[in-house]
Amino acid sequence: MIVSWEWLSQYVDLNMSHDELVDRLTMSGLNHEGTDEVGSDKAIDLEVTSNRPDCLGHIGVAREVAVLFELPLSVPDPQPPVCDRKTADFCSVEINSPHCYRYTARLIHGAKVGPSPDWLKNRLAALKCESINNVVDVTNYVMFECGQPLHAFDREKIQDGKIIVRNANDGEQFAAIDHSTYKLDADMCVVADPSGAVAIGGVMGGLDSEISDSTTEILVEAAYFNLLSVRKTARQLSLFSPSSFRFERDIDSWQLDWASRRCCELILETAGGVLLDGVVDVGDKPVDPPTVTLRLSQLKRVLGIEIPADLPAKILKDLGNEVKQSTGESVTVVAPSWRKDLTREIDLVEEVGRVYGFDKVPDNAAVPMAASYKQKSDRVVEKVRRVLTAAGFNEALTPSLVPQKWSDAISPWTDQPAVHSSQPMAGVVEKASQRQLGIVNCARRSLIPSLLEAKRINQARSNPDIHLFETAQVYLPVADEAIPHQPVVLAAVTDGDFASLKGALEAVLADIDPASSFEIGPCEVDLFDNSRRATLLINGKTVGLLGEISDSGKKSFGLRSQTTVAEVQLSALEDLAVLIPQHVDQSPFPPMSRDFNFVVENAVHWADLESTVRNSGGELVESIQYLDTFRDAEKDGADKKRLLLNVQLRSASATLTAEQAEEVCQKIIKGCATNHSAVLLG
Amino acid sequence: MSVTTMPLDQFVNDLKQMLTEASTAFDGAQTTDDLDAARIEFLGAKKGRLKAIQKSLGSIDKADKPAAGKELNATKNAINAAFESAKERLAGGASGPSNDPNFDPTLPGQRPLIGNLHPITQTINELKDIMGRLGFTHAEGPEIEDDYHNFKALNIPTSHPARDPLDNFYLHTAQAQADSIGKELHNDNPLLLRSQTSTVQIRVMETTKPPVRIFSLGRVYRPDTPDWSHYPMFHQMEGLMVDENVTLADLKTVLKLFAQSYLGGDVPIRIRPSFFPFTEPSVEADYFWDGKWVEFGGAGIVDPNVLSAVGYDPEAVTGFAFGLGVERLCMIRHQITDIRYLFTNDVRFLRQF
Repeated sequence: MIVSWEWLSQYVDLNMSHDELVDRLTMSGLNHEGTDEVGSDKAIDLEVTSNRPDCLGHIGVAREVAVLFELPLSVPDPQPPVCDRKTADFCSVEINSPHCYRYTARLIHGAKVGPSPDWLKNRLAALKCESINNVVDVTNYVMFECGQPLHAFDREKIQDGKIIVRNANDGEQFAAIDHSTYKLDADMCVVADPSGAVAIGGVMGGLDSEISDSTTEILVEAAYFNLLSVRKTARQLSLFSPSSFRFERDIDSWQLDWASRRCCELILETAGGVLLDGVVDVGDKPVDPPTVTLRLSQLKRVLGIEIPADLPAKILKDLGNEVKQSTGESVTVVAPSWRKDLTREIDLVEEVGRVYGFDKVPDNAAVPMAASYKQKSDRVVEKVRRVLTAAGFNEALTPSLVPQKWSDAISPWTDQPAVHSSQPMAGVVEKASQRQLGIVNCARRSLIPSLLEAKRINQARSNPDIHLFETAQVYLPVADEAIPHQPVVLAAVTDGDFASLKGALEAVLADIDPASSFEIGPCEVDLFDNSRRATLLINGKTVGLLGEISDSGKKSFGLRSQTTVAEVQLSALEDLAVLIPQHVDQSPFPPMSRDFNFVVENAVHWADLESTVRNSGGELVESIQYLDTFRDAEKDGADKKRLLLNVQLRSASATLTAEQAEEVCQKIIKGCATNHSAVLLG
Repeated sequence: MSVTTMPLDQFVNDLKQMLTEASTAFDGAQTTDDLDAARIEFLGAKKGRLKAIQKSLGSIDKADKPAAGKELNATKNAINAAFESAKERLAGGASGPSNDPNFDPTLPGQRPLIGNLHPITQTINELKDIMGRLGFTHAEGPEIEDDYHNFKALNIPTSHPARDPLDNFYLHTAQAQADSIGKELHNDNPLLLRSQTSTVQIRVMETTKPPVRIFSLGRVYRPDTPDWSHYPMFHQMEGLMVDENVTLADLKTVLKLFAQSYLGGDVPIRIRPSFFPFTEPSVEADYFWDGKWVEFGGAGIVDPNVLSAVGYDPEAVTGFAFGLGVERLCMIRHQITDIRYLFTNDVRFLRQF
């Protein structure tokens, strides 16, 4: 809301400096956003919060100034003279729409439309409001004076002087003052005459009935339209005006008559003519404002400061409340009609507090200390982040909604279809991809597609070493549950291969629980290469998946080079987390190291062989390290491979002898021969 | 075999001359091969010059032998020392010019590839640390919320613009799903991607009796069209404290402590009236930085309607809440000029932090 310094001065004596004024206004709720010099005047831009529509007019702001600086406020009392013709004889009003609560009309005959006087032009110019003619300017002036939007019709253009407020017909065409034609629907409210709409209620007037130079009979509308209806209509038609802005924030029905009289008074003053007697006033009568009691003890309880006992009643009275009763313990008031936000005790606490000044609230109160706890989930995520960044992964953040195509590409955790948003998330995929991908409106069930896109963007920019991870919620609808299950998952994408990403995940798991390891299960995700994919399990429970993207998968995500991805449920890791690792004595005796080169069937899996080595080697086996796999079809046969491994032996109680080591080796060789038909190569 | 005796002074002179020559040879050696040749010449076990002089000790007059032996030992030690010094020099351990022309110490080191945390995460970690020190415990909640927790319980009436369908990501499950669970969609309590983290306040208070001292942090969603300062997904942090006798002064104090912790040093703050449906009084908090007031975030005393909605007695307890936008803080902190950089995940961008 822009207010003019000179205009404000009409209602309150501005005996303070500009800076003092805007500082006090800022500190009491009207945040100063800037001031422009307009001629000799100052246009002061104030941010008005949505609970204070009364400050969308100069009188409201002037009232604030009067209260803050303890100055008298003078508000005009318009009593325009009337002639003996009756308004009701020349026009009628009928409300047939739930979107209009009340409609008042006054009539002026014999007005002469023309340019506005300079004082009026200057007032509007300070507010960057274009001057149209004396009548239209007056309606705008009164709106900026008191916050009530008004409209002036050329009465002769309204058939039979009959105003009918009704819902628009679906598809009804309306030619507005801005020379555009709008297509209306049945949820919109129009002001009409028997032949058609003459205005969109609260939003914009019609071209046909606008005030022109030939207009002499003026119908002044002061009405109360429903805020939601106005907001919806304005938004749908993209027709935002100072009028719709004020209706959207709700207006004061008690003020309609004042605004109407004030408007007529100023039309008579600037355009002449005579005002007809009486007002046509149809619809709901305004509701009496509530009576509210403030217990003074609540001020200390909420604000934490003592406020002198005589101040609350004075502040409330100055703000326009009618003080019904004021004792040492409480103040009972009837709120002013323009302050619909004052209905409860807490509202009065805020009023007294803000006028008294929040700057008087101390910032060194004795807030009690309290213990705070770090959540296990946070600790686990920290571990994940620490290990993965150490492993060269950068943390990514990608949008939670994805296009349908990505949503369909992979859903590791549920078969239930994704939840869709009614509003698409616009502008979050690159423009070039937008057309191919369509709208972004699926709540994602996996982070993998988003990371593939992140990799693609990096690839397009020729960035080397693309290793990314993200931790975020996925949204998994569950039958019979209102709100989807939303577990946090870890996903990663890398240029490396299956083993490299598996290793990174193993390092993560080892940091969370050194005793756990991933088991590998079959995986049927189509996005993955059918021989390089796996389900990850811990203790038999599926916790994640890992795979190299197949050629067709790469193609559909625009990827050129090797890409491996994984996704793991963090809640599963949380359950395992060893947050405080425990010490185990380390053997002081030297280890012995033995290499093995086993020829086995191709089908033998490392994990099985390793398990045999561990079990048959017994407790002297400290660690088993995989070294390599070779294939030599000529020497070993077509379906064979050689697995090279190193076993480190160590005793906790003594230096191992060569004989002991040999004994363990023989057990290992025997075990592998028995379980896997493994043949040891010299 | 005629025996001629050698005078002591000649023996000593021979030793001195050999020491000088040996020192010169050792010091002048440019490579280990040079040095080795010199070592053989002077210190060689069979034909070395020291060995040769040692042999001549036999021809010294008997009376002079002790003195000659002493001189010999001294010279031997000095030559050995000169050799060791030269050896050390060539091994690179000592000062002096480089002797390995193939080694370039200015070649780059072999750096491990290390990843970075996202700048938003780094900012969040900072905020989490501060909140923890102020006695607030982290609480989490779902990002897909229902209308009740996102709006109604937070005292946001149906008529409030914040509930406009165009300003929220309202959600609906696929029709197939609705059929399979055999129910109508809950239109009276639709789902949406939460538009604020205050939802977590409600969920915590619903299940916890006062006192409550928590903060929530995470993704929130509003259908803004992306530009340099807007993105339809962003992060908020919100603190909540409810107890007997919690006042606006406590709020202002915590905000001050927070600003001091975040910015370092004694930062003036101010609170000025504002409006949020879930707090009353509502305030906007500013801190004074670089000669001007900078908006910090919104805050206020928890509205009694919110306390009632979660089953608290507004006559028994009061509380405060404050919230701030993480992206703004992050962007100021790192001088990031466009919010969209945060969500593009270009590794060149990410590696800066």
